[in-house]
Amino acid sequence: MEYKVEAHRIMSISLGKIYNSRVQRGGIKLHKNLLVSLVLRSARQVYLRDYYGGICLSAQQAREWCEGEYMDSEQDKLVPGSTESLPESDGQSEVAVDKQEPSNVVESHAALDVESEASGEQDHAENGVLDSGCSELKTPEESPEASPTCEVSNVVTTISSNCISGPPPSNPKQATETPNGCQTDDGESVEEKLHEPIVPHTCTNRKRSADDSELTDSLPKKTKVMSSTLISKNDEKKAETEEMDTSNVSSLITIFGSSFSGLLSSEDGAQPDSEAEDSDSGQICCDQMLKNLNPWSTAIVAF
Amino acid sequence: MGEDTESSKVNHSFLRDYVTEADVISTVEFNHTGDLLATGDKGGRVVVFQRETVVGHKPKGELDQVGETGESGEYNVYSTFQSHEPDFDYLKSLEIEEKINKIRWLPQQNAAHFLLSTNDKTIKLWKVSERDKQPEGYNLKDEEGRVKDISTVTSLQVPVLRPTDLMVEVRPRRVFSNGHTYHVNSISVNSDGETYLSADDLRINMWHLGITDRSFNIVDIKPANMEELTEVITAAEFHPHHCHLFVYSSSKGSLRLCDMRASALCDRHTKLFEEPEDPGSRSFFSEIVSSVSDVKFSHNGRYLLTRDYLTAKVWDLHMEKGPVETYQVHDYLRTKLCSLYENDCIFDKFECVWNSSDSVIMTGAYNSFFRMFDRETGRGVTLEAWRETSKPRAVLRTRRIYTGGKRRRGDVGVDSLDFTKKILHMAWHPEENIIAIASTNNLYIFQDRVSPDTQDPDLGSNTI
Repeated sequence: MEYKVEAHRIMSISLGKIYNSRVQRGGIKLHKNLLVSLVLRSARQVYLRDYYGGICLSAQQAREWCEGEYMDSEQDKLVPGSTESLPESDGQSEVAVDKQEPSNVVESHAALDVESEASGEQDHAENGVLDSGCSELKTPEESPEASPTCEVSNVVTTISSNCISGPPPSNPKQATETPNGCQTDDGESVEEKLHEPIVPHTCTNRKRSADDSELTDSLPKKTKVMSSTLISKNDEKKAETEEMDTSNVSSLITIFGSSFSGLLSSEDGAQPDSEAEDSDSGQICCDQMLKNLNPWSTAIVAF
Repeated sequence: MGEDTESSKVNHSFLRDYVTEADVISTVEFNHTGDLLATGDKGGRVVVFQRETVVGHKPKGELDQVGETGESGEYNVYSTFQSHEPDFDYLKSLEIEEKINKIRWLPQQNAAHFLLSTNDKTIKLWKVSERDKQPEGYNLKDEEGRVKDISTVTSLQVPVLRPTDLMVEVRPRRVFSNGHTYHVNSISVNSDGETYLSADDLRINMWHLGITDRSFNIVDIKPANMEELTEVITAAEFHPHHCHLFVYSSSKGSLRLCDMRASALCDRHTKLFEEPEDPGSRSFFSEIVSSVSDVKFSHNGRYLLTRDYLTAKVWDLHMEKGPVETYQVHDYLRTKLCSLYENDCIFDKFECVWNSSDSVIMTGAYNSFFRMFDRETGRGVTLEAWRETSKPRAVLRTRRIYTGGKRRRGDVGVDSLDFTKKILHMAWHPEENIIAIASTNNLYIFQDRVSPDTQDPDLGSNTI
């Protein structure tokens, strides 16, 4: 459990660094921010994988969570370079584990998963709301010098088009696979060694794509938001050297101002959720809060 | 981070150690003969030192030491000039730092010396020349330059050149601007003497020394979609002999050798030098510590020396699958990466250098320590560049970091390392065993006292 605390702390520090890079002389340092984003991604992997390890222990719990996460995984998948979860079968999952190759394996499943993801997306009405919210999140989320709104609109367009293309027939298939679908995202096999593997064998260990992609998977909304946050962070951070949006600066300031306090309060007010009893109660609280908050605050509360 | 090891720190040391940010040295470079040493600092200034000539000659330079023949081999200030000023990019509302990132000397072709200096965006070519004569005897101006009253002029005279006190003039000859969107991290002069390359985070440009309004882009790793960015260029250098070869390092720890004869745009490398990652040592910070901070060709052009956060590696140009030698610079920091990440020390970019015969490599560390590795024996030695423990012409003693086992007197514990005293920049004389070490705002010059040819690690020091 310590490494989860450690991972959380590293994530907070990383976000602080990205935030501070804004005010440093000489402009944003692309190299440093790239490295910080890599650390943030690694920490997030560990942090969330442990969370899923707790989820997958109970199939029932997993089913309920995974269903609620479809839209999130859909969201994540549609971000360029990101991969999706929910393998069609255990066989595929095993393939994913055995190959140990980052991008190829995951992306091959991603194509198959798109259908199921899209269908799952449509199942939830609130998806649309959070979709648009999260895509908007991407732009200003991680950096004050956000990319122009055209990038946001591109992402939104992608997401919506994928939503529409998701075939309904795969829905039943989706439902039956949810018990197996829940998986932990294991970016690197080494991390398994590094951290005590909690994930039962039924849960798949997916290799993260080689690209600087975000955590995918059937994740709670919190995770989705985090991933889109990270996604936006990555590209925004890189784009920020080319673009600056001063209006987003002030927005980001208010967001970050409330972010950490929001997270701390959520951890204190633990509301145990019977469905995921092994998970950190703070995370559950976060998730519940996420459902009620508007998209802007959502991403921040996740951290 | 880090505590003072010496208990004799008193209050006044705080004031003495207070360093103006602008005085921090950011680059050090010997010229091709080793007679000149240039340093750049964060305030955009360049200071050029010149080596004392052999005993008997009058020392040159602004600080004229008349009558003092001095020790041969000492470096004195030759010239100081402001190379870059703080700038502002109005389009992007970004401030451009005046910090000098790199200085590279051009091979000398006439009496004047030329050097390239660069900050984050602009590269400048400076001409450093001496003038020891000046015209005297103007008709219309008097000695101070004031215009004479015409009525006082009764006869005409021809101005003549008279020997005068030596003056060192520095003039900017070329300004290579608007070539880079991202921060320039390296410049390298080609062996053809006509071109040079400049590298930023995502692109490498090749310039002609005489043409300032355009450059060729020879490497571009910017992805079409910035979201897919996974690595950046961290350093680049031309091959010392082959004008068509250059190497660049990436933040992922790989090196790419490119041949400009293959194509105009060298996005596809000719050789890729990469070491597979050790899965057992994976941590949150594996990517950061594997990022290469400096790459240098050996003088013979056969090897590459790279520095990442914890190690220095020697690569053979003929073997791509891994380095031929790996030297642990400060492996005791491997367990402290999280703290170093918090205080930003993990992002420090250490440089590395070869000696003249490519038998010894040197790189910096923390606590004013720097390390030398003898390639033949594989042994490394830790030395300290610290004013209080080294007097002029004193012999440097080796230091040790205590990491366990028997602790000897004088060993420094890992937790008492001062991480604010970092040795990032250094240079080795191209022919002799003279090294220049920059430690924040101090420049240390150490010479091999015994003989220029030995590799004896006992060095005499001439501090500046």
